Amino acid sequence: MNLLRLSWRNLWRNRRRTLITLLAMALSLMLIQAFHNLSTGVYQRMIDSGVKAGSGHIALYHRDYPGTRSEALSFAPEDLVQQLSNLPGIRAALPRLYLPALAQSSRESRGILLIGLDAEKEQPHNPYLKELPESSRLRLRNLRDALLGKKLMEELQLKDGQKFVVRLQSRSGEMAAELFRVRGILETGIPEVDRATIMVNRPAAERLAGMENQIHELALILGAPQAQEALLPQVRAMVSSSPEIRALGWEEAMPNLANAIRLDYASQKVIFAIILIIVGIGVINTLLMSVMERIREFGVMLALGMRPRDLASVILLEGFLLGVVSAILGSLFGVLATWYLKVRGIDLRAFINESIEVGGVVFDPVLRARWDLPAMAWAALFMVLLCTLAAIYPSRKAARTAPATAMRHV
Amino acid sequence: MIHLENVSKIYRTGNREVAALLDFSLDVARGEFSVLAGPSGSGKTTVLNLIGCLDQSTRGRIEVAGMDVSRRTVTQLASFRLAHIGFIFQSYNLIPVLSAQENAEFTLMLRGVPKAKRQARIQELFERLGIAGLENRKPGDLSGGQQQRVAIARAMAAKPNLILADEPTANLDSKTSEDLLELMRELNEEQQITFLFSSHDPMIIGCARRVIELKDGHLASDSKDSAA
Ligand SMILES: Nc1ncnc2c1ncn2[C@@H]1O[C@H](COP(=O)(O)OP(=O)(O)OP(=O)(O)O)[C@@H](O)[C@H]1O
Ligand SMILES: [Mg+2]
Repeated sequence: MNLLRLSWRNLWRNRRRTLITLLAMALSLMLIQAFHNLSTGVYQRMIDSGVKAGSGHIALYHRDYPGTRSEALSFAPEDLVQQLSNLPGIRAALPRLYLPALAQSSRESRGILLIGLDAEKEQPHNPYLKELPESSRLRLRNLRDALLGKKLMEELQLKDGQKFVVRLQSRSGEMAAELFRVRGILETGIPEVDRATIMVNRPAAERLAGMENQIHELALILGAPQAQEALLPQVRAMVSSSPEIRALGWEEAMPNLANAIRLDYASQKVIFAIILIIVGIGVINTLLMSVMERIREFGVMLALGMRPRDLASVILLEGFLLGVVSAILGSLFGVLATWYLKVRGIDLRAFINESIEVGGVVFDPVLRARWDLPAMAWAALFMVLLCTLAAIYPSRKAARTAPATAMRHV
Repeated sequence: MIHLENVSKIYRTGNREVAALLDFSLDVARGEFSVLAGPSGSGKTTVLNLIGCLDQSTRGRIEVAGMDVSRRTVTQLASFRLAHIGFIFQSYNLIPVLSAQENAEFTLMLRGVPKAKRQARIQELFERLGIAGLENRKPGDLSGGQQQRVAIARAMAAKPNLILADEPTANLDSKTSEDLLELMRELNEEQQITFLFSSHDPMIIGCARRVIELKDGHLASDSKDSAA
């Protein structure tokens, strides 16, 4: 017989009350774990597609380009593209040119962003290019091929295969123009992109702008997003000899997306905190009730010579054990819920018919969870801690029992 | 063993004061088998609580087993009780979640006595008390007499110098009361443990070597003085 066993038996003295409290706690933990995993899954999808359609997990720029987006701030990648592609953990290094320009059809003209890229390298990674049928992909050798945003095509009143002109101010300051042909349609669901994007082969853009071997962005796609933490310093070390080049993680390169996620998770944390406060109050109530019922018994134990400190430990252990059992039970529920949310997901397509954009990324209407075991373990551990803390007040109350008075209680 | 000198205990409830004990003095020697008698409300429980360090006196000096027990911390008093005093209560007061064995070895557990030694000691006591075989029963599954025997085993287990028993037989029938009293007499003689009871049962009072009679918080009579 020791204090731990005494606590354990005390816990099951009022079986129904303990079970009800336990169930409430376990369900709360499940809620926290499952919703955390669901959000993680959704965020991961957003990051993944955002990163792959955008500036990669890591992006290299001219030092001042990210703040100004001025096309004058380009850099020469030299053999960086090759070197970085060979770095373990990096799947692809994608050089890009971004040029503000004017697109003119025979009827209309629009201000656009001309993106020069290595189409065949981008294809396997960029989710929008991946979707394109073979017949509307940029052909490498055909420098007149262009992909146009869907809205832009409509506004310019262009049809597949028709010609149009792109005009811009070249590096030397002269106006330059080039004829392109609509090869395919780009549809991202993000209005700003669909209304103002034209993609062409990088050599075509280079030639038009007079920017031979210059790029604005070198996007690195990693094998695993978690690898970013380890790779970013390596990449920075590699480019340290060229002080005008700066390497940014996706959070810095795409602050809108990072902030949207941060804000969403912050509001979720508030809800988690509220759940935990409610759970804590429930635990305090249960323990306090059971302590009040046992005042006489505490009087007896103290009279027999138990130190008040040890009596307090018994009550603290009751809270701790309640926490441990609820953590185990809740995690079990959490695993089941996460598993369901991963396999089945939550399909919002019935409620959302237009595509929704968050932080510059199209939101996938089927929400799917993703395992985040460390976070689940932390939540469970926190539950144990919370219960132990909730037992402090009841345990003090028990320890302060005056034996003579307590034993007059009937 | 026990020395009380001009002890008073005054309870305050609201603005009313109740003097449960007034200028009470008492000496009990080692190995005595004495009973506190007196009508309900005369202060028997109060005296036992003060001697058992479960309550603080309002005035006066109390020494138990050679120690002045006033002005000690609750933890010091708990350790003192654990080392020197065994308690038997009117309503047995066994801990419902523990088995008979676990109840009886409670004070040994608090003292950190190893399991094998505890079991041997409880075995011995249970046999002596005629409750061998009931070790694994919970208090709820025992009769009043059996429960009180377990409580006696609990009080005896750690071999205290002094056992205080507040109306130990008040909830028991007269046959059981007599048996238990007989048993305690034997233990008192065998092991020189000092026993101090309270009771208003004439049978018990008749058995005691010394009868200390209380009335309204005063000493009414003490058979020791009259014998002297
Ligand atoms: N906590 C308390 N608060 C106020 N008065 C009390 C308290 N405890 C005891 N008293 C009073 O002190 C007096 C002595 O009580 P005590 O319990 O010592 O009597 P007793 O002789 O043990 O009686 P009984 O035979 O009924 O057990 C009584 O008048 C009682 O009402
Ligand atoms: Mg009494």
